[in-house]
Amino acid sequence: MRVIKQKPMNWVERLYVFEAIRGLWTTLKHAARGLFRYETLPTISYPEGQPEIRNTYRAKHRLMLRPDGTPRCVACGMCAAACPAHCIFIEATASDDPRIEKKVKRFDIDHLTCVFCGLCAEACPVDALRMDTKVISFEHRTRDEFVAHLEDLTAWDPKDYPEDEQSQVAPGGTKNAEARKVWGMEVK
Amino acid sequence: MDIIESRTWIEWVITIAKFAFCFVPVLYILLLIPMERRGAGFMQDRQGPNRSYIKIPFFGKIRLLGYVQNMCDGTKLFFKEMFAPAGVNKVLYYVAPAIPFAIVFLSPCVIPWFGPMVFEWGGQVVRIPGSIVDSEVGVLLLFGLSSLSAYGAVLAGWASKSKYSFLGALRTSSMTISYEVCLGLSMMGMLLLAGSFNLTDIVNWQEHHVWGIVAQPVAFFCFLIACIAETGRAPFDVAEGEPELVAGYHTEYGAMQFGLFYMGEYSHICINSFLVATLFLGGYSVPFVTTETMQAHMGGSLAILCGVLAFFALAFLHLIYRYSRKLKATNLTNRFEILREYSLYKIVAWLAVVVLIAGGVCAWLYYDPSKFVVNGFAVGSFATAVGTALIHLLVLVAKSVFFCWVWIWVRWTLPRFRYDHVMHLGWKIILNIALINLVVTAVIAKLVGGN
Repeated sequence: MRVIKQKPMNWVERLYVFEAIRGLWTTLKHAARGLFRYETLPTISYPEGQPEIRNTYRAKHRLMLRPDGTPRCVACGMCAAACPAHCIFIEATASDDPRIEKKVKRFDIDHLTCVFCGLCAEACPVDALRMDTKVISFEHRTRDEFVAHLEDLTAWDPKDYPEDEQSQVAPGGTKNAEARKVWGMEVK
Repeated sequence: MDIIESRTWIEWVITIAKFAFCFVPVLYILLLIPMERRGAGFMQDRQGPNRSYIKIPFFGKIRLLGYVQNMCDGTKLFFKEMFAPAGVNKVLYYVAPAIPFAIVFLSPCVIPWFGPMVFEWGGQVVRIPGSIVDSEVGVLLLFGLSSLSAYGAVLAGWASKSKYSFLGALRTSSMTISYEVCLGLSMMGMLLLAGSFNLTDIVNWQEHHVWGIVAQPVAFFCFLIACIAETGRAPFDVAEGEPELVAGYHTEYGAMQFGLFYMGEYSHICINSFLVATLFLGGYSVPFVTTETMQAHMGGSLAILCGVLAFFALAFLHLIYRYSRKLKATNLTNRFEILREYSLYKIVAWLAVVVLIAGGVCAWLYYDPSKFVVNGFAVGSFATAVGTALIHLLVLVAKSVFFCWVWIWVRWTLPRFRYDHVMHLGWKIILNIALINLVVTAVIAKLVGGN
């Protein structure tokens, strides 16, 4: 056990007056900052100014896409198994591509139940599920609208992720053409 | 009839017009609330309340630098339902909030708002005192009135049948009474030096000697602390300490009843800050300049006044322009709306600057009391007296606004004292310091050979 010994106050500090004046000086500096350097205040007037969000921030999910535009998800169910809140619902179906066994038919994430722990993204064996959309506000009118379906999760624009190579492989991305050659197959 | 005819009509007009000063503490609430809320915000690195707006045709959403939100909050308080909890003493419950607020209209009657106006009117010298009631007991009357506001707290606590309210009322009354003693005693040294209870005489003494803060620094300090404690503000707001008593004596009040307590507290701050400014900061007197000098050079004095005000307008403009520049660089989605709003402030401030500078130059060049003749009736000395009064009033307001800021500043800096600490500080420390100060002042005054 660590015991923190506090330094006893000396007599100047015990007089309180001088320490109080020091405190007043501190608050005065802060007040002056608000008055004369308003833009340096750390708070943001929220709906108009958005906070800066890091790439690693666990925001709304998205499903990564193959070069031909199909979701990369192989419907293995790992994410649903890893999810502590049981908010992922997956239905699988047979894939058109002979190289791949299953494809996903239904992929729903209930964002009212989701705890944004990020375990699903970690569990994904093919790096299909990510949480880097930076979408932090969820506003809907009904509970059903909070459930993100497959179309919502795949409807993202590669232009929003310019630095991410994996995202550029998707249709519309800068590396889509060459990736398509490598992938070598058209959807029937 | 004899009484009316004993004075000229102008004297009556001014004497009656002076009653308008009763409303000064209430007007100060309008200043203090935004100052408190945004000041608190800035001290805590927040922006403070600034969301509400009024929409006007050309300039869009006008927020008045956050002022509109205070107006909205006041309106909300005003239109909320008033209700009394079961079992309260209805009469006292409804009367109690009005007491501190009603006293606010009486308290400012002895504060000198400007030096005595002395002027010639129709060959007859007229002298009008600067306070509403030019009483010889002066400051004692003010103390008597302002300590009456404790009744509001006591009645509210007793009438609302709540343990929290009751304890809060007990604490408030005991604290108000004990700090009244300190307040009175710490002020005594100043009274001793000036040799009068009349606040006009005290200011006059300070004008011709030194300010009270120089002559009586210890007394000033004690007085300020006692004043803050008497208004029941942090760090002395033990009466409404949230951790112990929900909100003190106004726990059971809502809507405008609560609003009246709130306004009473702010007005009390205003009156006390006027009192501190009057007693220890030279009141209405302009620093380093006597009233006689000022009256001899009235044109120049008015020009300097205009210059100072123009400087403040320019400083405001600088802040607005600077922030507009920074705002353009941000990516706030409403930045153009805000810039549009600021264009209104820029127009108003530039107009103020132009008017003030033009007025100042005119006053400097063309002010000549001997030329002021209305219908063959010389009013030059009256104009000088009014100009002096105006300058005095603005100086007093500036000083008191500074002390209002001190109240807010202290509140958002220092943590709340424990109740027994407050009593200890009041009775065992400040009272003793004030007494020693009084004795020392008396001895020195006697030795030096004052009055």
